[in-house]
Amino acid sequence: MFRLSKMARRSAFVASTILSLGMAVTVSHAADKVTLTFANWADAEGATRPGIQAVIKEFEKENPDITINSQAISFSEIARQLVLRVRSGNPPDVAEIAGNDTFLLAQTGKLAPLDKLIDSKTMAELAPASYEGYKVDGKLIAFPWTLAAAGFWYDKAVMQKAGLDPNNPPKTIDELMKDMAAIKKSQPDVIPLGLDTTNRAFSLQSNWPWMKTFGANPFAKGGAKSEAMKKYLSWMRELAKKGYIDPGRKIGEFRPLIAQDKVAFLWDQVLVQGVIQSTNKMSDADFYKHYGVTTQPTGPSGKSYSFEGGHQLVIFSGSKHQKAAWKFVKFLATSPYAIEHYTLSYEASLTPLKKAPSDALAKKLDTPVFNAFTSTIMPTVTTPPYGPKFAPGSTAIMAGVQQAVTGDTPIDQIAASIEQNLGN
Amino acid sequence: MSATSVERPVKPASARKNAERVPWIDWMVLPTVVVLAVVIGYPVIYTLVLSATKYNMLDMVPPKYIGGANYRHLFTDPIFWTSLRNTAIYTFGSVIISSLLGLTLALLTESLTGWRFRSVRALLLTPWAVPFVVVAFLFRYMYLQNGGVINAVLLDLGLIDKPVLWLNNSYLALPAIMVANIWAMMPFFFLLLSAALAAIPNEVIESARIDRAGTWSMVFQIKLPFLRSALFISSLLMIISNFNDFAKIWAMTQGGPGYSTTTLVVYVYRLAFENFNFGYASAIGVVWLVLLLVFALVYLRAVRVKA
Repeated sequence: MFRLSKMARRSAFVASTILSLGMAVTVSHAADKVTLTFANWADAEGATRPGIQAVIKEFEKENPDITINSQAISFSEIARQLVLRVRSGNPPDVAEIAGNDTFLLAQTGKLAPLDKLIDSKTMAELAPASYEGYKVDGKLIAFPWTLAAAGFWYDKAVMQKAGLDPNNPPKTIDELMKDMAAIKKSQPDVIPLGLDTTNRAFSLQSNWPWMKTFGANPFAKGGAKSEAMKKYLSWMRELAKKGYIDPGRKIGEFRPLIAQDKVAFLWDQVLVQGVIQSTNKMSDADFYKHYGVTTQPTGPSGKSYSFEGGHQLVIFSGSKHQKAAWKFVKFLATSPYAIEHYTLSYEASLTPLKKAPSDALAKKLDTPVFNAFTSTIMPTVTTPPYGPKFAPGSTAIMAGVQQAVTGDTPIDQIAASIEQNLGN
Repeated sequence: MSATSVERPVKPASARKNAERVPWIDWMVLPTVVVLAVVIGYPVIYTLVLSATKYNMLDMVPPKYIGGANYRHLFTDPIFWTSLRNTAIYTFGSVIISSLLGLTLALLTESLTGWRFRSVRALLLTPWAVPFVVVAFLFRYMYLQNGGVINAVLLDLGLIDKPVLWLNNSYLALPAIMVANIWAMMPFFFLLLSAALAAIPNEVIESARIDRAGTWSMVFQIKLPFLRSALFISSLLMIISNFNDFAKIWAMTQGGPGYSTTTLVVYVYRLAFENFNFGYASAIGVVWLVLLLVFALVYLRAVRVKA
């Protein structure tokens, strides 16, 4: 048995105390460190993955006490997975969501009202139009992340070839029909109008402004059988019969085609510019010479409409780190870094802010396309009647639209069948 | 063993049967029964229970018992009947045509031997190796009205004067999907029937030849009776498989245009996972299960008879 000297015992005591304190501090730091789960499709898609990962990295650098666990889920799956996770008591802290899915999730009552989390300064910086639509029972249930309204894109080169004035896109449905006839005659291999006629909730969202400009509201009692709806369905049939639309294609399938001058007019969101340029490698200057965007040609109602197809962020009420979650949401949607490196670079979308947070960003946002959207298209945005009836309703309505476009069933019969399937 | 070893007395059959039925051996199947009860029994019973409830996942309220209301609704739901009709056309149409094609190809290639047979067989089996989702997208792009290879070829040959809307015409969409399905399924029948043809005893073929049987009588009088059992069982298997086919239809048309390609499985998917209406979706699931059970019972009976 050996005996330690007094000095050695003292040194051992000091060393062990320092070690214990060090461990305690480390443990306490680990306990303070928050991990947020973020369910999103930005990380699931190759086109946006590098952007969202860079933004998350920057956020973690600025907030060393918060770690983001990004959970990549495809766009078409995210609503299903979130509803199932909410039902099983295992929701993420934050999620990316869009369209009717935002309101489906809100129906579960498991979204944290954001009003209590948002500071008044941030609220004042937001454009009211960007968040007004996300209030349910007076409470804000989703925060606008990217704004991507739909506009009427036109290919000036195709118009010129057809003998049309490339700087004078059609302003009414009648003008549109005339222009499409000229395009079809001069360039039979060009699809005159790119419209999404698939059967999914997004398609109804996309077609809603067209129904509105005809004055139709199929969700209203008797609305599917109304004269306005029948006129809209007849117009869709005429488009198909004359070969002006290419039925069955998703909207995304028209984007590479317009980049190759194979589509004349496209009803699509602001983000199209990025897709076209990534396909045909056009410079900004060439793009603005070649393409333009304006408001929807007006129908019998005399009004133009659009839909907002941007993405939102939601925080779940079950999250134990709501303050950290809000910090993350605010960073993603409003920080100059995220706007520059994600919203503009990868989504090619607008921000929910009234004005750009820096002069450099203001310069980047000062383009003919962004200006057209901000000044003329955004004010025409109309919100479809989102909610629990929207998804089943979209199946019934879009099935009817498809019947009108692809078959010979009388329009009256199709309208009656939509009305019946909607259970109006 | 030496020749002097005592031989064991042979037990009578009844004694042997009793020895096999020792209780502990019966208990050995218990883990399997438990696993089956959890992975098959529980979902089936839960679906039956849900089918008698009003249950929407978004409502965050427990399922409410409504008795047979969901089943009564089935009778007045035109989409259900359209889906059922489409399922029957898709399933039986695909199976009948692909089995006939598989049979024809098996008979045509029967006489090939060596590398010729191996090459033809490899070529004919290729579609079976392509994943169903890939088959669906492959055909979807081939059918496109603008840029699809099928329309391009037909236009070049002068057979059509404008592109055909294969997947976007209410009358053509279902047959167009069936063509893709038949292309993918035909090798299964070819493979099975080739094997069954090879198993026909040579003596039978030789006797028929001695009796101067012609080609047709050889096929109809000799070979087909031997293939009947293989054809029946493989068809039943494929009927069950096609009844559940979701990937091809969803990837090609999502059940459209209108409801012209909506089958039961597509309808149930939309109800359950787009509308979250699990009560009604379960009721259709139960009907679907009963129909499948009928086919499964016929299949089991056929296998037993064959054995």
